[in-house]
Amino acid sequence: MSQTLQDSLFQRKQTAFLLSPDKALAEMLQMLWSPEVIEFTVFEKGGGAIEHMFNEPPDLLVVDNRLEDISGKEVAGLVKSENVYRQVPVVMCVDPIDVEEPWNWNKVEVDDFLVRPFNPAEVRDRINLTLCRAMRALDANPLSKLPGNTSIIQRIQYLIDSGEDFALAYCDLDYFKSYNDKYGFSRGDEILMMSARLIVNTIRSYQGVQSFVGHVGGDDFVFILPPNNVEGACQRIIKDFDDIVPHFYDPDDRKRGNITSIDREGVTKIFPLMAVSIAVVINTEGRLKHYGEVSSIAMSLKKKAKANPKSCYVLDQRKA
Amino acid sequence: MDADLKTSVRGEILQVKDLPTLPHVLSEVTKLVEDPDASSEAIAKVISTDQVLSAKVLKMVNSPIYGFPGRISSIQHALVLLGFNVVRGIIISTSVFDMMVLSMKGLWEHSLGCATACNVIARRAGFEDPEEYAVAGLLHDLSKVVTAVQLPELHQTILDTVQAKQMTYFQAEKDVMGFGHDRINAWLARHWGLPPNIREAMSRHHTPQLAEFYKPMSCVVHIGDFLVRLFEFGNSGDDQTAYLRPEALIELKFKMTDLDKVMDEMAEQLLEVSDLTF
Repeated sequence: MSQTLQDSLFQRKQTAFLLSPDKALAEMLQMLWSPEVIEFTVFEKGGGAIEHMFNEPPDLLVVDNRLEDISGKEVAGLVKSENVYRQVPVVMCVDPIDVEEPWNWNKVEVDDFLVRPFNPAEVRDRINLTLCRAMRALDANPLSKLPGNTSIIQRIQYLIDSGEDFALAYCDLDYFKSYNDKYGFSRGDEILMMSARLIVNTIRSYQGVQSFVGHVGGDDFVFILPPNNVEGACQRIIKDFDDIVPHFYDPDDRKRGNITSIDREGVTKIFPLMAVSIAVVINTEGRLKHYGEVSSIAMSLKKKAKANPKSCYVLDQRKA
Repeated sequence: MDADLKTSVRGEILQVKDLPTLPHVLSEVTKLVEDPDASSEAIAKVISTDQVLSAKVLKMVNSPIYGFPGRISSIQHALVLLGFNVVRGIIISTSVFDMMVLSMKGLWEHSLGCATACNVIARRAGFEDPEEYAVAGLLHDLSKVVTAVQLPELHQTILDTVQAKQMTYFQAEKDVMGFGHDRINAWLARHWGLPPNIREAMSRHHTPQLAEFYKPMSCVVHIGDFLVRLFEFGNSGDDQTAYLRPEALIELKFKMTDLDKVMDEMAEQLLEVSDLTF
């Protein structure tokens, strides 16, 4: 209850909306977390809350089925039917009579529900779990299920702030687009899944060190390792990728070592087999202060790596 | 009757849950996956000597869950893409034969011998990725293991028929069931989502001339099977001489001198292989 943010499960303060006429429920929720950890804004009526919610979506929405002006199901439906809001986790509070008949959870797309009478310890942990689960799901790349941009940026900033030395590698695939154009997106997805798996397993094989793999989107991946491991990892990824990727081509193309496809200008051209380019930014002695610096150095290195049609990696040589 | 038998055998075969292996390889792989310094090459090398573990690894990496079904036919690639955790899981959930070890040992040797032969033949023929031909050779009699596990009585009847009528295991299967392990291989390989090249070689190793898409691989396994029987290395269920289809040699543009060279190299490698395991 008097917990600080630091000891909580969250990296920043969570904002929550409670839509309920039940004053006892509001009181209980506000007792369970210090406002520094989860800050509840209470609305006794549903109608007034909707606009607030759309303007400033909270991290959590607790909806009581006892709402008088609008049903809890309707509120949940409003949130979950909009792609920009549907990541907000919704917990439904109900009375036992409400759940005597089974609910259609495909229609009521809430994330969890709580049944009266409430047990405060259970409410606390169910809501904590809902928030943690939502954070995990929110940022995951839908194809590879790897953490996405938000997590990547957070991780980089965390490492910068903690002053630890780290190496950040940006991987992307050369000629992925022409492969996609020729073989179709579902075979393109096979390549992305294979690449994700290969990078994850390579990075995970370095045990007992700080490491991370994220999927920026499309054919862009990042990984983080300590500076002294990164070069070996790049070499292994390149070797395995170059070994495996020919098997994803049709036998004729593979034998020829190239594919005929249409380029960005609509001209038919011959493209080599895919390769992986890796740009590595090394942050030692706290040289870099902000995520933006890391990504801008990486982007300029990436151009260098891309200039080579074969798989290769480029290390950022600048020193503090 | 025939159709009914086929349906019921197919049903039993495809329901296989626990495919055991021989203790030796399993304990060796277990040791390696517990060792943080072990390389995936080292683990792949050991797994590549065991048909059951190899089949399990390929089945898993080619399952739709990983997102590239039917693409991977190399054990080494499979290990890189599955990762050590998953491989450890496969190892933990694999049991060993207890009672049947002795009767199965010969089949393991035969399969490993055939894998060795296929590797030599594929290199002699100048094919890329000879390891994949070795995998096809290793798995070419997989359905005999599954039949022994899932339908032990039927398996015994086939073995008895081999003895009583002095025929090959393949002929005895046809005598007893009306179809052979090549057909069962086809069911298994499709059900497990194994890559099409391995699948075809498994189901066409007795009739490589009928292979549709991957004739060279089917021919390599056919010749490998023939040669390893000639060497009497291991035992695949009978001690009859197999038939070598001339079409297979023609397909690989093999002359008798090529076979001689292959057999010389096999003789050396089989010696190493028999030291390595069993």
